[in-house]
Formats: sequence, C-alpha cells, structure tokens
Amino acid sequence: MKRVAVYPFAAIVGQEDMKLSLILNVINPALGGVLIKGEKGTAKSTAVRALAELLPAMASVEGCQFHCDPLEPNLLCESCSEKYKSGAKLSSSEIKMKVVELPVSATEDRVVGTLDIEHAIKHGEKKFEAGILAQANRNILYVDEINLLDDHVVDVLLDAAAMGVNTVEREGVSYSHPAKFVLVGTMNPEEGDIRPQLLDRFGLSVIVTGEHEPEKRVEVIKRRLAYEEDADKFIAKYDKEQKELGEKIMQARQVLKEVVIADNLLAAVAALAIELGVDGHRADITVIKTAMTLAAFAGRTEVVMEDIKNAAKLVLPHRMRRRPFEEGELNWAKVEAILDAQ
Amino acid sequence: MLNDALFPFVAIVGQENVKKALLIALVNQKAGGLLIGGKKGTAKSTIVRGVRELCGEQRIVELPLNATEDMLFGSIDVEYAVKHGKRKFASGILARAHENLLYIDEINLLRTELLNAVLDANAAGVNLVERDGISFSHPVHCTVLGTMNPEEGTLSSQTLDRFGMYVEAQPELVTENRVKIMRELLNFAADIEGYRQQNLLATESLAEQIAAARTLVKITEVSEAMIQLAAQMCAQAFCAGHRAEIYLLECAKAIAALEQRNYVLPKDMNEAAQYVLPHRMRRPPEQEQPEEEETEQQNEQENEDNTEDNDETQDENDADDQQQPPPPLPDNVDGENDEEPENDDQSEDDEQNEDKEEPTPNNDAEAQEQVADIDKTFPLPQIKLDLDQDRKLRRGSGKRSTKKTDLKQGRYVRATISSTKVEDLAFDATIRAAAPYQKMRENNGCALNIKSEDMRQKVREKRIGSTFLFLVDASGSMGAKERMKAVKGAIFYMLQEAYQKRDQVGMIAFRRTKAEVLLPITRSIDLAQKCLQELPTGGKTPLADGLATALMTLYMRNKKDAELEPILILVTDGRANFVDASGEDPIKQAIDMAQKIGKLQISSVVIDTETDFIKLGIAKDVAKAMGASYYSLKQLSEEQIIHIVRNIN
Repeated sequence: MKRVAVYPFAAIVGQEDMKLSLILNVINPALGGVLIKGEKGTAKSTAVRALAELLPAMASVEGCQFHCDPLEPNLLCESCSEKYKSGAKLSSSEIKMKVVELPVSATEDRVVGTLDIEHAIKHGEKKFEAGILAQANRNILYVDEINLLDDHVVDVLLDAAAMGVNTVEREGVSYSHPAKFVLVGTMNPEEGDIRPQLLDRFGLSVIVTGEHEPEKRVEVIKRRLAYEEDADKFIAKYDKEQKELGEKIMQARQVLKEVVIADNLLAAVAALAIELGVDGHRADITVIKTAMTLAAFAGRTEVVMEDIKNAAKLVLPHRMRRRPFEEGELNWAKVEAILDAQ
Repeated sequence: MLNDALFPFVAIVGQENVKKALLIALVNQKAGGLLIGGKKGTAKSTIVRGVRELCGEQRIVELPLNATEDMLFGSIDVEYAVKHGKRKFASGILARAHENLLYIDEINLLRTELLNAVLDANAAGVNLVERDGISFSHPVHCTVLGTMNPEEGTLSSQTLDRFGMYVEAQPELVTENRVKIMRELLNFAADIEGYRQQNLLATESLAEQIAAARTLVKITEVSEAMIQLAAQMCAQAFCAGHRAEIYLLECAKAIAALEQRNYVLPKDMNEAAQYVLPHRMRRPPEQEQPEEEETEQQNEQENEDNTEDNDETQDENDADDQQQPPPPLPDNVDGENDEEPENDDQSEDDEQNEDKEEPTPNNDAEAQEQVADIDKTFPLPQIKLDLDQDRKLRRGSGKRSTKKTDLKQGRYVRATISSTKVEDLAFDATIRAAAPYQKMRENNGCALNIKSEDMRQKVREKRIGSTFLFLVDASGSMGAKERMKAVKGAIFYMLQEAYQKRDQVGMIAFRRTKAEVLLPITRSIDLAQKCLQELPTGGKTPLADGLATALMTLYMRNKKDAELEPILILVTDGRANFVDASGEDPIKQAIDMAQKIGKLQISSVVIDTETDFIKLGIAKDVAKAMGASYYSLKQLSEEQIIHIVRNIN
C-alpha cells in the first residue's frame, strides 16, 4: 500500500518550541501531551502530521483492537488480560505508533465507542464497537481546534485522559478498555477559550507565531514549493536528517530510563510551584518529568538546572491563573529568581 | 486487569483528612458516602481509586459521565428476548453497585436528574425499573463516592446535603512534602511492580484494619450524652433537617471503630464534625438577609461619624433600591424540584425523573450558603467550605443550563417514541423495543426484524449559554468613560467564567454619527483584550443607530446559532441628540427602533445613567418600548452590571 506523502518533520523551518515539545512527548509519552496555540497557517497541523513519520515502532499484541503492549501486563485490555492470565503466550508484532485524529465534529458515540448495530441486527447479540479512544491507545490523539470541541466530548476526553482508561456505559454496552494516549491539541485563542480542566491535562504548551524574519519566510515558501512540485524528491532530500532525528529519539528513550535528579532540584521546583500559586501538583511533577526528558534528549543521565528552566518554559505558562485585566503570562524573571535562589 | 497500575493508597503523601474520610466511608456505609472537592491536580481521583485494594470483597463501580439511563438503572435483556421471545431484566450500574462503592468522578458535570435519581434510589434502598416493557425492582445499598472540581460549577445545596461527608483536597504547601510527593511518583513510575511490592505489607495491614473496624462498628455503642452532643452541634451549625445528627453519630462510630473502640468519645464527635458539617452548615435564621444589605448597614454605622461624601453614596444606594425593581434573590429560584429534606418515601423518584419532560435546571446558586461566625462553645471545625470564591459577584448566577436540542448534537440521554418521522434513531432502544417480538415475526435473514413501531428517537441534551450584547453610549455626555470602563470590566469578568456558563459576550458603542461593533460576539478573552484596548468616547448620541446595529447583530447571530438566547443590555443616559439625514426627531427614532426590538421579544435590560438635575427620562421610555427591565444607576460599576446581568432570567 502506498502511503500518502507527508511533509518531513526535519524540513519545517523554525518553530523550535513546538518541534521540541512534540519530540519530548514522543520520547516520554507520560508527559501529558502538548497544546499548540497560534493563528492559522503557522504549520501546526503540518508539524503534528509530520511527527507520525518519526514515530518509533512498538510491540503490540497481534489482532488486539487496542494494540495492547505484551510487555505491560498491567495495562492489558480484557481479552488480552484473560489470555495472559490463562498462561497463553501473547503473540506480538511490531507496529508503528501513529497519529489518530479526532475531528471537532465527532459525536460522543464515535469517540468512546458504542453498540455494534450490524452485529446486533444480524445476530441479535450485543457487541462493543470500539471508537476513537480505542484507536488512540498507545498512540497520539490529535485534536485540531480543540477549543471548539463540544462540551460533552471534552468531558469524556477528560475522563479518559485522567486515568488512561475509557469506561463506556451507554446504548446497551458496558465496557472498559485501556486508552492511554498523548494528547496533542491546537487552538487559535481568538476563537474562544479552552476549559481550564482540559487545559490542565496538557503537559506542555507552546505558542507559535508566523516567522517574522524575511529570510526565514522566504525559506518557508521555497521549501513548500519544492515539496509541492515533487514530494518524493523533497522527502528523499530530508531522508538522512529524518533518520538521524528518529535515531536520536530512540536513544533518548533508552537514556531516559537512567536519568536521575537531585533533591535540591526537586526542592527548587517545589518552591517555584508554591510561589507561583499554581493549582495542584501537576505543574511541578510535569516540570520534573520534562526536565528529565530534556536531559535524555541531550544524552545526559543527570538533570541540570538548565533543563529545569527550559522545562518550566514549556510547562508553566498555561498553568498561570488568569484574572480579568491580566495577561496571565509567566513572569520569567520571577521564575529564574526563584529557581536561582534555591 | 487495567487498574493494577494504580498508585498505592498507603503511599500517598499528605491529604490526611481526605484519606481519613475515605476510610470512614469504607468502614461505615451509614456514614452517608463522601464528596471530595478540590482544585485540579490534587490527587482526588488517585486517592479514591487507591481504595480498591482496601475494601476487601467490595468493588468500586464507576458511573462514567457518558452513561445513558438504561445502563444506569438496567433494562431489557436483548439477547434473551430475541432468543426466547420473553422479557427479562438486564441489570445496570445500580445493581452492580449494590453493597459496593459507587464512584462518580467529576460528579458536578453529571446531569442533575441522573445524579438525583441515583441518590434517591440509594436513599430509598431500592431501584424500581419501569422501562422498555420491563417492571422490576432490586435493592440498592451502596456507598457513593464523588469527586469534583468546584471551578466547573458546584452541586446544589440540596444535593450536597445528601452526602454524609465532605472534604476538600488541598495542594501541599510545604516544600519538603512537595519534594517527597515528586520523589514517590518518580519511584513509582520507574518501577510500578516493585513499588507496589514495597507497599504491599502496609496495604494489607490497612485492609485488615478496615475489615476489623467494619465488624466492630456494628456493635459500637452511642451513649445518650453523645446523642445530646450531636443534637447540640447540629443546632449550632443550623443544619436543616435531622440527617446531620445521624451522619455525625455514624461517622463518629467509624472513627472509634478504626481505633478499635466499641464506644464513641467526644473527640470522635469533634473529628466527625469536620467531615459532616461543613457542607450543611447554614447561616443562623436571624442573620439570613442579602449580603449587600448587611454591608450597607455597616456602612450606615460607619457613615454616621464619617465624611459627607460617604453619606452621599449611601443615599444613592438607598435611592437605587427604591428605583430598581429588585433583582430576584437567588434563593428558591427553582424550588419546585429536589427539595426533599427527608426522603424515605421517594422510592419511585427515578421513574418520576425519567418521565419529566423538562430537564431540571442546575440550581447551584444556592450551593454557596455559608456559615457565619458562630459563638463557639464546642470546638466546631474550622469551616472553610468555600465553594465559590467570589460569592458576592456570582450570587444568583444561573450556571450553565442544559436544554433539549433537536439538532442531532449533544449528549444522548434517553430514547422516546416519536410522534413524527424518526430522524435521529436510537438504535439501542429500537432493538430493545423489537427484541421481545422476534419469535413471532418472520425471519428476514437477520436475527432481528425491526418494524416501524419499534423505532425510537434519541433525546439529546446540550449545555447552552446566553449571548449578552452590550450596547453602550460612548457619546460626549457625562460619565461616558465610566460607562465604558464598567462595561469592559463586566465583559472581562463574564468571559473569565464563560467556560463555565457557556456564555458569549459582545459590545457595541455608539457616538458621533453612528454605532460601531467594538467586540463581535465571542467567547474569547484574547479577542476581547485586543478589541477593547482603546475605548474612544465623545461626540453626539446616535441612539437609534445603536439600537439598529444591535438588532442587526443579534439577528445575524440568531441565524448562525439559533440555540443561544440573546440578551441585549443598553447602557445610556438616553439623551439621543444626533439628527441623521432624514431629519427626524432622534428621540422618536430611538423609540421606534426600540419598539421593533420589543416586538421580536428579545430579552433586554436598560441601565439608565442619567445624572442631570433635570431628568428627561428618555431611557425609561426606550426601556418601555423594548419591554426591557429598567435600572437607574448614578454610579455605574462593574459589580453592579454583573449583578444585574446575572439576575436577568
């Protein structure tokens, strides 16, 4: 099967924060995804779709509709779990991690799954028909214009994102299955805000703007034209860079297991979270995880203060409380002062 | 199983009161279940799910937000009906929850009717099912555990009242503890299996402690003195009804049992009060009066020995009170439903709820009842149930309301027999309706032969908000700047909570020769920030053009999204004085335009800011023509606008 050509990730000009945050989530899916804010035409969707090409292969139970990980007995779906407990070997195959899209118009039944109507009519039996959340298990769930998503769809998304499990109790079916995914959302803030609950689920957030330097703008156009003229040739040109980046990600995944972090750095992050008055504990925990992933991406096994600072830039901005007349922006000088004081 | 990767309860750092309350709920079902509030990321769900390993035989049954009614209450067994042509009951979530724990995450987002039906059935101890041709009943006794983030709206005070206990999860504010939390989580993530092994012993011993306490609580005795104490505590807290006393005593019994005692001590009662009283404490009756009046009275006292300036403000306030039709007080906004303090006899309520045509509006407005300082003879708990931070502003707010929708959008809540053509087929309900007749119908190659009489239509529900369009006089008359500033402030405030109420806001200003849309109707605070940075004022007053522009804007809006109810808020001193090309009297023009708006029955409010010595009262006439509520304010403030807006409906 010939795949549709995808613009290479490595060929995207600029937008370093966005690219980095996407890569970090691929290295460490536990970071909690990324929210990309920006106007139209800033390569948001291109970047996410391009990411798919870089994604690593993973082991998956053959024939399982949730592509369970045979090496994670704790996260198996019902049928895999039964097989596992009965002592049968779970046959495994390599599949590529992928980007699953959730369109804004999606209905709740398609998202969480529903009754298999065909099966019901033909056989008079109830059967669960898996939805988008099932596809998204162990993959990237991409929601373009997430701020326009219907409320009740957001509700079920929150539920699943929180626990990594999708519990369905609707239309005659009662079912629950693993739904652990990296949530990637894009939004244009001028089209309406996003619910704070959902905002908080995102590990990282970045703001993308169009390039302002004329040279870079020219480069963006040139590459786009070259790609549209002959996509295969263009992709081939970036093949080496793509492979290198892919390998770097795989290495970082290995290094991540060895990364350690000193207590004084944890204390600095804790002080920061208290000082900034962020809600709950997700902010500090995500800063730490992100810093560890950054260290791994740099090939280091020890987190340094620089990692913490870089992580804070990605993790904190969308967690700052916003009140009327406040821009709700992160006061970076304050953050540095707090961190350096520790 | 899926949940084997859960963080162990015993390893959770901090949140001692939440953990203790959960243990009490586990030990004694009669303590009435537990509601946990708290900001996002305070480990609420982690703690609740962690009890899975502690409750022995019991299971945690989850009620997800996507649940439909048939799944919750139970319905016909389709497979059995097809095979045997007979109706049989297939149990739902409530049946599974019997003698178990029923967990509702984000409970404040669950539909009010559904939640009330669950609580009613549990209180009555029985689930009566009358649906899909099935008539069945089964016992329900479960411990309901709920978690919620009050940021997204709270439960009504009646619903709060039905939970035995309430605790709030607070974020940890001590650096060392936060470090500890992070360290534990990192250790857990690094080696889930190993981490759980390390905590296995502690988990087992806690589970044993709970099991022992469960046995003990059955024979734990409550002395007469403790009953007296409970009554006094509840009287002091001004609790409505007598459920509070029972919960207090049952809760105290569990506390005693956890300490291996079979008798209750006063300290158990004090501890129990922390969990049982916060959400049901009421203001003492004699103090129950609108907050503003209180402050005014205080002002009055202060004013006596204060400057004249203050005195004037006071007079204004008084005058306002007389002139305005008082906005409806938030209390008893919708007294007709779920007001049932004692509810042993409402076992049929779930069916009643099902039958209700209109969804009950959320009545969270009353949830903010708070306790005033009480003369303490008992060490009553430090009550800090502050479900709504800025209560004064939000008093009487409507909260997000739900509405039936016929545009195939929204959450599928139940199925119905349609009198017209079925357009949004509810497959599951249709199959349920058809199932019992399959034996009799001829086989068409499929297992199911569906006829048109089986067809069921989906009933969907969607949260909607309102569209508020501010029409503001920016002409050169007195106070234009203040008007604009106050409205801007109000808009920002409303957009801040737009995510909660689903409201949209827009602003039109009129000055010089025409009206101008400053802020198109939006939900975006970013856009508002951009559009409302500068607010030019000055020039003549083209009131008629302002009204015309507003009408046009709302008309276009209605075409785009007919479900949002528009509300027009006109802020002006009414002194229309711009004569346009037609040469007509500007005041007459304005009144004519206002009548057009009135004919379309658009909800509207006029805030009159006329302060001149000689009042022309034009704004009042405009209000009359529009059929608008009318308020006259000398001193316009953001708070007043919000207060008025929130009391429109």
